[in-house]
Amino acid sequence: MNAIATRSPNATTPQRLLNVVRLHVANPFPTLVAPWLITFVIFGLNLAVWNIVAQAAGGVENLDADAFQYNGGILWIVVFMMVVGVQAMSLTFPFALGFAVTRRDFFWGSALYFVLLTVLYSTGLTALAWLERATDGWGIGGAFFQPFGALEESLNVVWFLFFAAMLLFFFVGAAVSAVWVRWRANGLYVFFIALAALIVGGLWVVGQLDAWAQIGEFFSTTSATAIAAWTLPVTAVSAIVGYLLLRRATSKG
Amino acid sequence: MTAIVEAQGLTKRFGKVTAVNDVTFTLDEGAIHGLLGRNGAGKTTLMHVMTGQDFATEGHVRIFGESPVENAAVLGRTCFIKESQVYPDDFRGKHVLRAARWFYPHWNDALAQRLVDTFQAPLDRKMKKMSRGQRSAVGVIVALASRAELTFLDEPYAGLDAVARKHFYDLLLEDYLEHPRTFVLSTHLIDEAAPLLQRVLVIDKGELVIDADADSLRATATTLVGKASDVERFAAGREVLDRTAIGAIASVTLTGLSEQDKREAASAGLETTPVSLQELIVRRTGGAVTEEVSA
Repeated sequence: MNAIATRSPNATTPQRLLNVVRLHVANPFPTLVAPWLITFVIFGLNLAVWNIVAQAAGGVENLDADAFQYNGGILWIVVFMMVVGVQAMSLTFPFALGFAVTRRDFFWGSALYFVLLTVLYSTGLTALAWLERATDGWGIGGAFFQPFGALEESLNVVWFLFFAAMLLFFFVGAAVSAVWVRWRANGLYVFFIALAALIVGGLWVVGQLDAWAQIGEFFSTTSATAIAAWTLPVTAVSAIVGYLLLRRATSKG
Repeated sequence: MTAIVEAQGLTKRFGKVTAVNDVTFTLDEGAIHGLLGRNGAGKTTLMHVMTGQDFATEGHVRIFGESPVENAAVLGRTCFIKESQVYPDDFRGKHVLRAARWFYPHWNDALAQRLVDTFQAPLDRKMKKMSRGQRSAVGVIVALASRAELTFLDEPYAGLDAVARKHFYDLLLEDYLEHPRTFVLSTHLIDEAAPLLQRVLVIDKGELVIDADADSLRATATTLVGKASDVERFAAGREVLDRTAIGAIASVTLTGLSEQDKREAASAGLETTPVSLQELIVRRTGGAVTEEVSA
């Protein structure tokens, strides 16, 4: 537990980043244990409902083959990762600052933690998706770990979809939370007003250009993989914005 | 002694409020410093700036000869414990101590364990569910067991009861003697902490009003007690800090008495008593109002 290297007063940058990662899991329960427990509870409930429905229908064979294959329950975990990103900035950041950690080390150490957590969860969920396929949908043609049609994709794609979605939500959550850390409530008012203006403005532009058909076409012809890949630059920009905001933030209002 | 902290023309403004105003001082390596002043005087802000947690508006501060801002090399040699510390959600006392081990290079587990026992810190309790005193205890444990070369304590013991505070003062002194290092304590329990302090810095409304060696500061004023008429005769023409009278007995607190003056006072039948640091500071930082009321 006490690696000698981390006790040196002049810890190197990788050591300091790893210490920040460790700080995030000093209490492992909220991010390493609870999400799995909650996922299994949600999964168990879905499985129970499926079985009740199948039984009422007098057997799975009396239902459509894809009756249990359009499920988004697992996506709660993507939203959860956003909450983790928010709390990392709003609560762990001031704590880390109090432990003499620099903002730079904290932010990039946290980014590393987000990536590691994303890899862990994407891999874990994809393994469960594999098990789901291997058991023929838990024996009743269900699809819980492959939300909304991901059943037709390869497992590599399933992994990548989880990966891109969770990473995006981590860094967007962290960036929005960094607005709060930097400027508190006033910052969030300005941010959300600007965001709303941007969305409404965007809708107006699309309407003016009469481009709804093209947008619909983009989403129907572009593969899930490509859309997921498009989130990566957005994620990267969120990361950079988050860092720039945090770089001048203080631990109080 | 060499300077471990140097502040030069340090100013911190929050909008229109000037929290710290053009402060210049140095802190001695290896000394225990008291950073004293009333609530809102600017003590916490000054500590935030000294540890790079906040940014100076003007002037600069150096610790270990370098700017603390985003400087991992020098920040890693410091520890700053404050009462207002924020903890991650769901963090328990044990998680704080576990993390402390990773961030403080001189962390000592045995000392931490001893402090946990002394302060009876409930490590299995969530930080947000702890009482103020229990949170203070966790802060004090980190501050001492980190054995950082430069330790700042911002009223972290304020929530501790009298017994626990006594333990804190004793343990701080004991560990300081075995492992000499630099401390900066802010407190308004001046008399309690006074025996520990070697240097005293007093800030009032953001300005540094006293920066002195604790012993020489104590020597700057003396209280004389005796018959009212004798006291008045001696005090005439001298700078009087405080004056009280109960019946025929009066006392005055005078600044700058030489040994010669003290001998004269003694021969005039007056008893000399040292002034406490607290009285001295209260008088220099807005104690005048209460002085007039009680007089």
